[in-house]
This record gives sequence, C-alpha cells and structure tokens, in this order.
Amino acid sequence: MSAQSKAAEKVARLFFKLSVEGGVVSAERVSGVLAYVERHRPANPLMVLRAYHRLIAAEVARGRAVVEHSGAAPEAMLRSIAEAMTRRYSRPVTAVSKPNPALIAGLRVRVGDDVYESSIAARLSSLSTAN
Amino acid sequence: MSSVLEQIEQQIAQLSTKAVRKNVGTIRTIADGVAKVDGLSDVMYNEMVQFPGDAIGIALNLEEDEVGCVILGDIANLKEGDEVTTTGKLLSVPVGKGLLGRAVDSLGRPVDGKGPISSTESYPVEKIAPGIVVRKPVSQALFTGIMAIDSMIPIGRGQRELIIGDRGTGKTTIAIDTIINQARINKVGLASGDPKFRPVYSIYVAIGQKNSNIVRTMSALEAAGALEFTIIVAAGAADNPANQYVAPYAGAAIGEWFMDNGMDALIVYDDLSKHAVAYRQISLILKRPSGREAYPGDVFYLHSRLLERAARLDGKGSLTALPIIETLAGDVSAYIPTNVISITDGQIFLETDLFNQGVRPAVSVGLSVSRVGSAAQIKATKQVAGKLKGELAQFRELAAFAQFGSDLDPKTKAQLDRGSRIVELFKQPALNPIPIELQVATLWAMQKGYYDELDLKRVTAAAVSLREHFSTRHDALLSKIRTKASLDAELEAGLKVACDEWKSTFAA
Repeated sequence: MSAQSKAAEKVARLFFKLSVEGGVVSAERVSGVLAYVERHRPANPLMVLRAYHRLIAAEVARGRAVVEHSGAAPEAMLRSIAEAMTRRYSRPVTAVSKPNPALIAGLRVRVGDDVYESSIAARLSSLSTAN
Repeated sequence: MSSVLEQIEQQIAQLSTKAVRKNVGTIRTIADGVAKVDGLSDVMYNEMVQFPGDAIGIALNLEEDEVGCVILGDIANLKEGDEVTTTGKLLSVPVGKGLLGRAVDSLGRPVDGKGPISSTESYPVEKIAPGIVVRKPVSQALFTGIMAIDSMIPIGRGQRELIIGDRGTGKTTIAIDTIINQARINKVGLASGDPKFRPVYSIYVAIGQKNSNIVRTMSALEAAGALEFTIIVAAGAADNPANQYVAPYAGAAIGEWFMDNGMDALIVYDDLSKHAVAYRQISLILKRPSGREAYPGDVFYLHSRLLERAARLDGKGSLTALPIIETLAGDVSAYIPTNVISITDGQIFLETDLFNQGVRPAVSVGLSVSRVGSAAQIKATKQVAGKLKGELAQFRELAAFAQFGSDLDPKTKAQLDRGSRIVELFKQPALNPIPIELQVATLWAMQKGYYDELDLKRVTAAAVSLREHFSTRHDALLSKIRTKASLDAELEAGLKVACDEWKSTFAA
C-alpha cells in the first residue's frame, strides 16, 4: 500500500466514524461529510471517497438482510426474517427482497459477510462437489 | 477417528434441511498467487478458504477490513469480484501407509498417475511441535550408509541434521543414499522377523526443483527398490510459490503420522533455500515489511517451527529431518544458512574443492558436526572409528603446512600417509550405501594396517574388494556384527581370519 493510499484510508476511516450514529449509518451525517469534502477538498479526494464508499457499503450491508428467492416472497416472511436477524445480530436489520430464479427453490439470505443458504441450487452444488 | 466424525457430520448435513451459514468475501485484487479479499469477517488465521473452481486458499494476512490469501491451485480462472467462502477448517493432508510408494503435491493429491490414494485419515499441515515433556533424547542410530558420515558425523533417530553446500556438490545424493539405505535395512529387518525391528519410512519433499530432477530422483529410488518405503511430496519450480511454501509442512504432517503411531520416519527437505525464497515472494506480494535480503521478519520462525516438529517421542516413534541448504560460493555465513545451522543439531558441509578433487562424498570433516555425537552410534562403530575425525582434522592441518616444505620428519610423514589413506577409504560412489557391518569391517582393517602396504591409488579398490570378500564369503560374521553391534574378542578373531584371507587373494 502506497503512502498516498494509506493516508486516504486514514481520512476515510475518520469520515466513516463521523457518519455512524448509535451504531447506524446516518444519512444526514453522510451528506454532511460529502458537503465537507466538496468544500475543503482533502488530498486525493477520489481515493478518499472510494475508501469511504467501501466502508459505508460494508456497514450498510451489516444492517440489511438481502433475501434472494426464486418464488414469491410474502411481506410476512421478510418481516420475520428481519426480526430473526435483528435478534441474532443484536442490531436493527431490515429485509430487502431480491428475486433470483437461479436458486430453483428456497432462499438465500445475506447479512454483511454472512450468507444463510437454503436453496435447491446450493444443495445440488454441494452434491456435485461431494466425493 | 476425526475422519469418522467428519463422515457422520457430512451425512447429517445431507439429511438436514436447515439453512447453512457461510461467511463470504469478495476478491478485490489478485496477483501472483495472492488474493486480497474484502469481507471474510469470521476467517481464522491459517484457515482454508474456498475460491471458485475448486481452488483453495490460506488466509495469511488478517487486516482490519481485508484478508490476504495465498492460493493453492489454478488461479487462471479467478477474477476480481469472485466470491470466496470460509471453510472453518485448517489446511490438512491425507496421511498413512497408503501414501507409501506415491508422489503427491503439497495438498496430498496424487501426481504420479497411479490412481487415487487409499487414505482414511488426514493431519493438519500446520501443527505446534511436540513439547519438552513428551520428548526423549536422541540415542538410536540412523545409518546413512555413507561411511564418512556414519563413522564421524553420526545421525540419530529424531535428530535434525543439515546438509549444506554449493550447487552440484552432492547434497541430494547424500539424502537419496540415506533413503535407499533405510529401504535396504527395512527389507533385511522385516525379512528377519525380529519383533523389535523398527523400519524407517522416508519422505522426500522437493521444493522449487526442476520436474526433470524430481523424476530422476523417483527413478533412482525405484531402481534401488526404495520407492515402496518412500513418499514423495513434489512442489516443483513450475508450481506457484504458495504450493512451494506449504510443501514442507505437508511433508512434516505426513511424517508426524508415522511418529504418532509408534513408527520411525525420515524426512528430507530439498531444499529450504528455495523454500525461503518462495516465502519471501509471498510476503512481498502481501506487502509485509521486509528485512535483511528482503526476507520478512519471521523467516527464522518459518524454518524453526518446521524443524522443531522432528523429534523422538517417549512411548511413540520418531521423525528425523535432513534439511538441505544451498550456499553461494561456500558462504555459510549468509542469512538463511546461519538461521538453519542454528536450528539444527549439526551439519554436513560439502566442499566444492573436495568434490572437484574427486573426494566424493565431498564431506568437509572440519566444518561438519553432529551435536548428538556418539550417542547415536553403535558400539562397534565407536570401537573402530572413535579417533578418525581427530586424525583426519590433523591430516588436513599437516597437509596444508607440508605444501611449503619437503623436509618432513618420519612421524609427520606417517601421519600424512595415514590421512591420505583414510581419505581414499571414504570415497564412495553415489547411490551405493554401505551396510554398517561392512563399514565396521572396512574400518577395522584400516585400524589394523591392512591397507598400509598398498599403493595409495589402490586403497579405494582394495576397500571395495574387501567388502565383496566379506559379503560373499563371511556372511555369518557380518550378521553377528549386525546383531551384536559391538566387537568382542571372538568377532575380532573372525575379522582377522577374514582379512588375512582377503589380503592373500588381493595381493595376488
């Protein structure tokens, strides 16, 4: 990692800390950070903003359960998944629906780096790689 | 036992309809066998991670929001954005007797085209070395079949003896001779039906070597009938650095299985200089801080944790290690050679000058040492070779001085003459290890002056002829030396009769 990118990473982390309020990314604070960058232009603004984007995206993903499904996804199911994930991670998690016909049947839920797989496609894939 | 549990767990997983939790990440950058991965927040240090297309990686750098992984296998189809999954397992290799006679890669997969390997157990590649309490002192001999080594620099079971020298000085040959000698001893021992006999199984780890050399080594072992007692772990020059980095640890894991199950094993790391270079390459790509000669700070630990795994365990077996280091222009004070010299229990130093003078094996007696010493020698060898190292060292010193003057006193002349004869006696062709009982007979004849009247150039031929005489006509006597392992009056009388008989035939 070059000295420039290290410095950019450091500034991005500082902005990221300022953007989180009560463990949740605050839209208002993010706007404030962006306005600050616009006005004061830190060194290597592109690098800073890219690193900042990556950190914010990872944090947002931790609070959002992306529910991939092949069939219908009733609202009640999404609600129950959101409740279960909120309990599991001890932080507010919202559920977002994402249709994915490649799953054949079942669900795939992603919260941050964790993936909960219960689909036919995953089972077929594990069967094909089993020795 | 662990494999049985794994089988049951797999069966449960197949029947279970519960959701499977995985921790995933995404490849951010990939270059030279190393990937930087975003995510993988639950990954453990040294954990195996699964890349798309059956490629496996090891998590080596755990940073705040990215993970540095070395990839074992084909990286051609991997690209930025691909998903990487944790496995919850440490890298492990198949172990057991099913691997004997086979050549495998650093993940234990067969590379010899002889079909799948029958193995039900696996061992983790990285393991903490046995502690102090479980170890026993090294006191059982491991015969290399090389007279200069067995008589002056003895190696014991559980010892770490470094073989060091410039390129083309016969380092690998010494290791291969030792493996062949173990196979010969195993065959004789197993045929004798002695319940106390403990065979030595060999593991040859080739790191960064030309594939043609690996094939040549395999052919030499096969021709000598030693392959059936040997496992070859190959990570050739064409393999990526990650495979070369893992190979010696995989070999150590295979050897540990023999040790843990009450057997003895010998492991050859050929060579650790290339291993250090592979690790340096990985470390530089992972952007770890570099130190002397651009090696990372933990290059000492890289080799110490590997070689500490060689041991003799109380109530179990042993693992003897023969690491090989290649020097440049005979410089033993370079970084990696000094590191490995300080870790091992001694070194066999091979000199280019001696090699070029025709002294083969080109063992430098002055610089070679075994810190275990005579504890790893049988009594018979001690009786006939106890003072040899000192005599040869004196000879080298006198020979250096004798070059400057021609007037030498008779005592010095006699010492020089005797030294030259010992040097001639220790000359030995490659891939031709000598059984210990024949070594004892050869050295006994030397001590009793049987070669003193011969022309210096005929000493090597005389020793070969003497050994032939013993093997063809005095097999019973050799068996007695082998079983008693020490020379008493009766055996010495037998040796005298046999040597007198030989002398009359050889002189004629």
